[in-house]
Amino acid sequence: MMFAVAILGVLVALVLAVARALAGPTAFDRLLAANAIGTSAILLLALLGFMTERPEFLDIGITYALLNMIGTLAVLKFFRYGALGHAQDPDRDGELG
Amino acid sequence: MEFAIDIVSAIALATGGFVYAVGAFGLNRMPDLFSRMHAVSVSDTLGIGLLIFGMVLQAGATLIAAKLVIIVLVIWATGPVATHALARAALHAGHKPLLVDGDGNLVETDPVDLFPELGVRLATPTTSETLIDADSDQASDRQEESEPEETLVGYGLDEGSETNPDARPPEQDPERDDEEDRS
Repeated sequence: MMFAVAILGVLVALVLAVARALAGPTAFDRLLAANAIGTSAILLLALLGFMTERPEFLDIGITYALLNMIGTLAVLKFFRYGALGHAQDPDRDGELG
Repeated sequence: MEFAIDIVSAIALATGGFVYAVGAFGLNRMPDLFSRMHAVSVSDTLGIGLLIFGMVLQAGATLIAAKLVIIVLVIWATGPVATHALARAALHAGHKPLLVDGDGNLVETDPVDLFPELGVRLATPTTSETLIDADSDQASDRQEESEPEETLVGYGLDEGSETNPDARPPEQDPERDDEEDRS
């Protein structure tokens, strides 16, 4: 029962984040919303695992947490440098976007 | 004892879900990108912390609790990094925060133009090294050429931003208007 309440809160947050991702207006707003959606997915996995008493879902949650961060940084690097390989400007080499 | 743990866990889960939803509400309510990041950090720290705390109390001292702690530590470590990178990329692409100037109007401007005593410059877009930079440079050039005489009409707190937070003003140069206001 208490997990159902928490899942309800996370679902509301998920819907609001999807609304912001659709509304934009800039790509950075959509990326912020995508990050929030990913975090909501992790929490939904954990809470659903507890509610159905299948805590194996937590392993998927850990994987998703790591992938979420890598995905966000990759897209941001693409925004900053226009490429995912190496920095185009040698003066800014090694600087993380 | 078990009943007490259940009570504390239920309270933590309920308040965690509430805080998490409040953060997502701020994501829709705030007027510009940087304040939206500020709102989301609420759910990324306190919301997740309370939810995971409630689940750890239910799990007891098991491997499940350890995995939950790993999840919350990963999110607490990576969330600020992602937010910082997002803010830097947005500044690099030419976005400026929405600030209140001396007349109480909301303007998208560099903070050092409003508060020169800070003495800190935001990261300005340097050369046209990326596509986004080139686009924003061209956009600002077009704005300077058109020489808009419009002032900040309809951009106050009580009109545009309240009803429609996504409303953007017509073409104008915030720094130019700011200089007019000071003189």
